[in-house]
Amino acid sequence: MFTVSKESIKKTLMRPEFFVLLTIILLSLFIQFKSGVFFTNNNIVDILRSMIVPGMFALCAYLGFISTGPDISFPLIAALSSYIATEFVFATGYNGPIIVVFLIAIVCGLLMGAVNGFIIAKYKFPSLIVTLATTSIFSGILLGVFQAGRVNLPPVMQEFGRNSLISVVNPVTGLGSALPMTFLIFIGIYLAAYLVLNFTMIGRGVYAVGGDETSAERAGFNVKRIQFGVFTINGGIAAIAGVCYSAQSMFFLPTEFAGMEMIVIAAVILGGTRLMGGVGTLTGCILGTLLITIISNSLILVGAPITWQRFIIGAIIIAGTAISVIQVQNVKSSKQSLLKKGVA
Amino acid sequence: MKIVVTKDQLEKGVVFDRDIFTKIDGNILRLLVIFMIIFTIASITKPQSFLTLGNFISMERQLVEYGLLALGVGIAMVAGGIDLSVVYIANLSAITTGLFLRNFVPVDGGPEQFFIIGIGILIGIITGVCCGAFNGFLISRLRIPAMLATLGTMQLFMGISIIITGGSIVSGIPSAFTQIGRVNVFGVFPLSFIIYLLAVIAIAYIIGKTKFGMRLYLLGTNIKASRFAGVNNNQILMKAYILSGTLAGMAGILSLARINSAKADFGSSFVMLTILIAVLGGINPDGGKGRIYGIFLATLIVQLISSYLNMFPQISNFYRDLIWGSALIIVLIVNFVLDKRKQQRLVRMSQ
Amino acid sequence: MSEYIVSVKGVKKSFGGVRALKGVNLHIKKGEIHCLAGENGCGKSTIIKVISGVHKADEGDIEINGHKYNSITPAESIKAGIQVIYQDFSIFPNLTVVENLAFNKVLANKKKFVNRKEFRRIAQEAVNKIDFKVDLDARVETLPVADKQLIAISRALLDDAKLIIMDEPTTALTKKEVKRLFDIINKLKEEGVTILFVSHKLDEVFEICDNITIFRNGENVISCPVSEMNESKFAYYMTGRNFDEDAITKETNFGDAVLETKNLCAPGFSDVSFQLRQGEILGITGQLGSGRTELSLALFGLLAPFGGDILVDNKKVEIPNPDRAQELGIALVPEDRLTEGLFLPQSIKWNIEVTRLEKISNKLGLINERKLNEESKQWVKDLGVATNDDEFPVQTLSGGNQQKVVLARWLAAEPKVLILNGPTVGVDIGAKHDIHKLLRKLAKDGMGIIIVSDDIKEIIQTCDRTLLMQGGEITGEIEGNELTVDLLSNYI
Repeated sequence: MFTVSKESIKKTLMRPEFFVLLTIILLSLFIQFKSGVFFTNNNIVDILRSMIVPGMFALCAYLGFISTGPDISFPLIAALSSYIATEFVFATGYNGPIIVVFLIAIVCGLLMGAVNGFIIAKYKFPSLIVTLATTSIFSGILLGVFQAGRVNLPPVMQEFGRNSLISVVNPVTGLGSALPMTFLIFIGIYLAAYLVLNFTMIGRGVYAVGGDETSAERAGFNVKRIQFGVFTINGGIAAIAGVCYSAQSMFFLPTEFAGMEMIVIAAVILGGTRLMGGVGTLTGCILGTLLITIISNSLILVGAPITWQRFIIGAIIIAGTAISVIQVQNVKSSKQSLLKKGVA
Repeated sequence: MKIVVTKDQLEKGVVFDRDIFTKIDGNILRLLVIFMIIFTIASITKPQSFLTLGNFISMERQLVEYGLLALGVGIAMVAGGIDLSVVYIANLSAITTGLFLRNFVPVDGGPEQFFIIGIGILIGIITGVCCGAFNGFLISRLRIPAMLATLGTMQLFMGISIIITGGSIVSGIPSAFTQIGRVNVFGVFPLSFIIYLLAVIAIAYIIGKTKFGMRLYLLGTNIKASRFAGVNNNQILMKAYILSGTLAGMAGILSLARINSAKADFGSSFVMLTILIAVLGGINPDGGKGRIYGIFLATLIVQLISSYLNMFPQISNFYRDLIWGSALIIVLIVNFVLDKRKQQRLVRMSQ
Repeated sequence: MSEYIVSVKGVKKSFGGVRALKGVNLHIKKGEIHCLAGENGCGKSTIIKVISGVHKADEGDIEINGHKYNSITPAESIKAGIQVIYQDFSIFPNLTVVENLAFNKVLANKKKFVNRKEFRRIAQEAVNKIDFKVDLDARVETLPVADKQLIAISRALLDDAKLIIMDEPTTALTKKEVKRLFDIINKLKEEGVTILFVSHKLDEVFEICDNITIFRNGENVISCPVSEMNESKFAYYMTGRNFDEDAITKETNFGDAVLETKNLCAPGFSDVSFQLRQGEILGITGQLGSGRTELSLALFGLLAPFGGDILVDNKKVEIPNPDRAQELGIALVPEDRLTEGLFLPQSIKWNIEVTRLEKISNKLGLINERKLNEESKQWVKDLGVATNDDEFPVQTLSGGNQQKVVLARWLAAEPKVLILNGPTVGVDIGAKHDIHKLLRKLAKDGMGIIIVSDDIKEIIQTCDRTLLMQGGEITGEIEGNELTVDLLSNYI
């Protein structure tokens, strides 16, 4: 019994998630030490607040990587679908429950995601190139066809954005911070994803397809439907994130979204998701987002220039992929050494 | 055992099949036809604005930068990879050259300024070479898939540009340098276009006629087999990405000369446009296929469409994103279908 | 009820105008071990896919257990008790053994939700069927190849399979593992499971099968009990040609040592010393994992040795990469033609001339196209590659002709030492014969040749001397005239 538990502890300690958690703790302590304001109630709430939308996007990136490959279209899907939902409220003067606004955005998002999913599943093109192209298309629709600009949200959405779950005031500095209702949606989405991915066959299929498409096909998974489904759902999640983002900032700004995909991809990589095939956890996904959020929120706290952000993101993506490539090679070479051992 | 060709087969299929592999590439022919059609449509519908010398000169000038970038992307694709970072290599090169020129070219001009401009250009090219070498290092030595490696370096190079410029525009470039962007040869060809043409010819020669080129195609087809065939894969990949980086460096310098400024995130829509051009030009993203002249023709086609769209002021610039994005997907699908047909013909032949 | 578990009549199948099956019949009796044999591309895999529902037949009847199907889906096929074990084992490297074992059954039962306990119970049941000991929670990518196959087999045994189709199951196995597999197959037979054993390895077929069906060019040419089959008949039905067995003569006069290793050590083998002389064909044989493949890779610069010496023409050399190996006059025809040997969509001429690039280009790197074409045409002619044009993609060739192209490539490099790893794997008998004859001729002209192979018959027929490898070491050396099947089998 003892050896088994020791083994499982060792396994836990070897997991990438553990390292991310360790990094988060060390980094937090470091920032606390440098600035003295990290472990304050308003800063913690601020960080939680800032990770809501990137966290939702991270789920999109995660699902893409786990099943097929990179999806970088979620920021523009978020922008376009939340814009359409906002315009719908303006056009109809709608003033009922916020859920309807979300539903409209989700339907738009699902449709856009379905375009991605259809092309990727049917033709097996590299998902990065396809989503790069559809990003361009959605951006053309948003800025060309709709000529979207800055929009102050209609009352129904503003009200939703103003409602807060918790609101705190720092007794020392007097600075306040509020955690919006969108945090619940964030938790809800992850809970749903956790349940679907781990307790339904379709969810396991997502990992199976990422591991080996042919095997998945033969085992009886509907590979095309799973890939189509993943990218479609991604569209839906992105749409929710888009509405949340606007609601949190009280206005819609079409140019705010583009470029977020890189930060999110860096977060997912930090969380230990392997970029080539089916390995990674939701916990890692959340921790990675948290880490990235702390880094970008705290650069100012420790006095690091904001101009370094892009560079750091690039470095994370490169280092993360390099590490996962080396890990894959290690698995191979350990197999070889196993062979050698068996031989000797 | 032996494949016997019957007379019937000769008439029906085999002779026709032979065309696919001979010099007259079906894809090049297709591109020429598309080019002629668009050219004709533009000439008929907008003769007074399209068929003017000014329009042609401005088209030549505009296509140079992304034309060079697309060559680099095409080379990377032939090698079975992709280079998403070219646009940001170009920006970084433009910035290093720009900063150097702004700080070192004497205000009063004088003959020694040309020497300094020469060094400035060299610095830009070297920047491109270094960036390309870094990509090559990641892809060949560390074996990171090109798509992910250059996705990362795209951010990294942009990040470096932001750090050294503080995120602002580099301007105030000495006019002696920006002349490069203005000079016309024989009044018809902008100097930058001549440079582009020379680059196309040089790259077409390197990729199409030399041992390096052939190895690049083979490596792009099957990287493991090329290792077993005694090809030094790392060296070939390194050269390919350095070449791509160099072309991007050139594009950056020419862009600096044309618009008189540089910034970390100029031309971000070119990332997709260059992929579109390479794919339209017949380069297969899976590697080992396509010709450089195809990229050249595709560049001309894209510029034709772009200029033609300009003649309709009611169409906003943002529509272009919509059009290029849709075009990329359509081209991918068309190529997919054509390729499938070709494969079927091949299977039939092997029976 | 019929006596056949599967009865296929007049099945036709075309792919984009290519007729893969031209109306074949296949009758498999209940409880027998039936062998399906044929050269590559004869339609073996197509008929498997038709039976398992992956492909839909254009014409013909499929009868399973007396039930007629016009077309059958994969799910129906599994439900009818048919299981296929593919060559690649159909596994998920990123998932645990439990999930790999349980997925098929759970999906076949149309379950929508995951029940971990159920998963584990299914997995345990599966491994128990063949006494397979493995960590059920291990990620499959960390397991050795033989374990992966056992996962595939134990998975197929779930679901009360009535017919198990094994597609070349012994390819990646060692002799010992093959024996274990055969024990399992025999045990299954006793339990009443029918086996369709797809193989082209004659000795295996004779050892284990009851009846045999041979396909050629999408048609079935014979079905009979294995007892009525013999070696020359087998070869004849496979290829449609007759071969004289003893055409190859052995050599005893050799020149100087051209390649030598002294106590060579690398990952996979250690302390290997041997000498190869001009004009000699040296065989190296041993199980998978005996270090034979690693040795060939080390001699070609693809595996870095950590001890010992390699001598070429009695001079000590370092071989850090294949480029250097080529300079030293060493050539390697790799084990896996499709992934390591060929550039499938590229032309035959490029595939041949890749090793000639340094010789046929000028200082600027420009390739002399005329020379390239001339040389390539000559090679196609010399080796009898069956094609209309060397501009055609190499994928249009048959397996044997493809192997000739790989051979031509390395002969074009004018090597002193030619190493061939599994030179005739997946090559039809006709081309195999041609290749063996060619190797003998090359040796006569002074080349030193090493054949690395686990095909015992091939080693006996062609090699002048054979080294036996076991556990990464050379354990024996047999002169050509003393070589017999029994002797070799004892070692392997």
